[in-house]
Amino acid sequence: MKKNISKFVIYSIVLLLSLELLVRIFHLHNERPERYLDEYGVEKWIPNQVGYSITGNRKQNVGKYRINNFGFNSVYDNYESSKDSIEVAIVGDSFIEGFHQNYTNSISVMVEKQLPNIKVLEFGYAGYNFSEELNLIKSYNHLFKDIDRVIIYLRYTDDLTTGEYKVSNRLSLNTPMNRLLKKSKLIVYAKDMGLFDSVKNKLISTRYKLTSAIGFIKNLISLRKIPDLPVKPYEMNEVNNDSIYLANFKKLVKTFNYDKKKNVLLLDFSLCSKEFLSYLRQNNFKTINFDANFKKHIRPKILIYDQHWNNLGREIIANEIVEYIKNENLK
Amino acid sequence: MFFNSIDFAVFLPIVFILYWFTFNQNIKTQNVLVLIASYIFYGWWDWRFLSLIVFSTLVDYTLGILLGTEVKETKRKIYLWISIIINLGFLGFFKYYNFFIESFVDAFTFFGQDVRVTSLKIVLPAGISFYTFQTLSYTIDVYKRNLDPTKKFIAFAAFISFFPQLVAGPIERASNLLPQILKKRKLNYEQSIDGLRLMLWGLFKKVVIADSLSPIVNDIFENYSTHSSPVLIMGAVFFAFQIYGDFSGYSDIAIGTSKLFGIELMSNFKFPYLSRNIAEFWRRWHISLSTWFRDYLYIPLGGSRGSKIKGIRNIFVIFLVSGFWHGANWTFIFWGLFHAVLFLPSFLCGTNRKYINNNVNSSFSFLKIVSNIYNTLLTFILVTVGWVFFRSATITDSFTYLKIIFTKFSFEHYTHPNGYRLIDYFILLLFFMIYEYIIRNNERNPIGFKNEYVRLFVYILLVFLMLLFYDDGVDRSFIYSQF
Repeated sequence: MKKNISKFVIYSIVLLLSLELLVRIFHLHNERPERYLDEYGVEKWIPNQVGYSITGNRKQNVGKYRINNFGFNSVYDNYESSKDSIEVAIVGDSFIEGFHQNYTNSISVMVEKQLPNIKVLEFGYAGYNFSEELNLIKSYNHLFKDIDRVIIYLRYTDDLTTGEYKVSNRLSLNTPMNRLLKKSKLIVYAKDMGLFDSVKNKLISTRYKLTSAIGFIKNLISLRKIPDLPVKPYEMNEVNNDSIYLANFKKLVKTFNYDKKKNVLLLDFSLCSKEFLSYLRQNNFKTINFDANFKKHIRPKILIYDQHWNNLGREIIANEIVEYIKNENLK
Repeated sequence: MFFNSIDFAVFLPIVFILYWFTFNQNIKTQNVLVLIASYIFYGWWDWRFLSLIVFSTLVDYTLGILLGTEVKETKRKIYLWISIIINLGFLGFFKYYNFFIESFVDAFTFFGQDVRVTSLKIVLPAGISFYTFQTLSYTIDVYKRNLDPTKKFIAFAAFISFFPQLVAGPIERASNLLPQILKKRKLNYEQSIDGLRLMLWGLFKKVVIADSLSPIVNDIFENYSTHSSPVLIMGAVFFAFQIYGDFSGYSDIAIGTSKLFGIELMSNFKFPYLSRNIAEFWRRWHISLSTWFRDYLYIPLGGSRGSKIKGIRNIFVIFLVSGFWHGANWTFIFWGLFHAVLFLPSFLCGTNRKYINNNVNSSFSFLKIVSNIYNTLLTFILVTVGWVFFRSATITDSFTYLKIIFTKFSFEHYTHPNGYRLIDYFILLLFFMIYEYIIRNNERNPIGFKNEYVRLFVYILLVFLMLLFYDDGVDRSFIYSQF
């Protein structure tokens, strides 16, 4: 029996090691650069990192990234601005960060190809919300003050969940245990594929069931009135958030002294509430709406296994920005 | 609880350890554990449906004993009919009630009569068609005196509800499973390893073949009117592999799991897509059901004995009932009818028993090889046409689907909304069929290569492919568990 068990264990170890090797050989795993909080309290990527961002379970999308000296994915080594040239900044989350494409084919490169006299600087960072974007602009005022236009990508449904700036908890994920687990590319790959999600969901639902059952038994023993069951995890999101988003937007605009002349909001109008759009119109916020042109194209605009824009999606965004800049007639 | 769920991954090792290391003193304790585990397994879906199994078990246990002791033929016949009526009554109510009511209303509406009968919101208990047939086989065998009734209630209840095959088969015969349950089992390392290998192979077919093809198949069948012939052909072929991977995958996991508990279940699939005619296909596809119908319906009706007309009638009966067994929808009935029509030429020409030995011929005669390839391809094409009926939502959909296949010949670049890379699936299916051909003579040991390193290589390859094709977003339930 012992011999059989040890044989089984050895087979399992060889299997896991072989899978680790295969994942590395075929480079199926995603690479993520390291984060840090800089001297201004802005969360960025540690400068000068290069790697491949991989999406889809059979390496269906590969993008090479290159973090520059400033801590963002870009073709430029450094970010400088001057009064003599025309510069445009694009600030946003992972959609602008563009790890899902080669850094040489980013939205800014696409815009620059059409407008060679304009320099486009990208400030995209996965997970940034509106407060973090405004905090970046404020913290690096010395850089942004000479930039002619700042285009801020605002994903209405995700980016207005808070009305104040707080350092995110993303950095706290960088624990020694997580760093150790990340050394196994098999674990990184399996996690990205959602293999552990079902385990995680099962644990959450089991904990919920247990809590409910224990509460029920406790109350039954003490003959008290049975309290309402705890709110199920998925029920917590079922609230209309539009009024909260609008309030948060107003608060952030005020806190960070939002520059309505220079800043432009890049929006998908179809995601926004009517109240939010009418507020923007009434208060003369500059906007670019890419929804109409997105709908014109039948072909998919997003990637496989990923909600980010694919090449066509990015092209549409770049064209929208080009059109806007042309109309603005920047000098 | 599905075989591919986290629940089962926790449940199985616990039951395995308890079975071999705690409840292993005698048969009774082993069977008590099997019964408890089976009821937990089944109750995981909906504990209320346990009452149906318990009731069926009580009825057939009692009737079995009465059939064993009763001498008068009339009374024995009554006992048999009570079992048939109760079991098929449950099945009929839960599975077919709404279908009959709706068909009845449709028929009257067709003749201009307005009939108002309300259908009921009935939830179909998982696996009801499978365990109903299993328990019926027991009473029929006891009635025919082919089997002695058991007086051991726990063992009988464990036989009816044995969890590895409870929900989607194989539909076991009492003559095969019951004697094994009545005998004390001993842990056999080789048998357990064989079981694990079969489970791995079954899981591979489910995760890599069935689950990965299902979103593409769903998309094509749901939007078939917007596609052209090549895309619809691809959809039908992909469904052929999806349903095969899904169902045979389930059977392999069931057989493998049973082996872990020292019990051998019958084979349910023997590489059906390598069949060279429809008759051979039915000897390789869902064997436990086709042999059930053969033994308990076709042969009692007279089988192929007697006149040709009678034989043809029996063929149509068995295929129509088989189609109807799958679900309360005209699509399944048409599917059965279609197979009856396909079966007919080989029955009339007497070639239906041509490939009876079940082995795919591997002789080196060139002509024979070409003829085998041609026959295999032709059979696969015909079976795939039949799958269009099986998969379509309505009978009108299936005919329109087939009409487009034969009329709308334009090249179309198919893109799934999620952008799946189609070439991956073509390569996968090609290599899958090559592997199936390599292991064609041993469906019970698909990774049973003599060389240890080859076996290890196949284990690694299968798990690696599961990692490559695992899709978090698909519905991972088994198709046949809905029947």
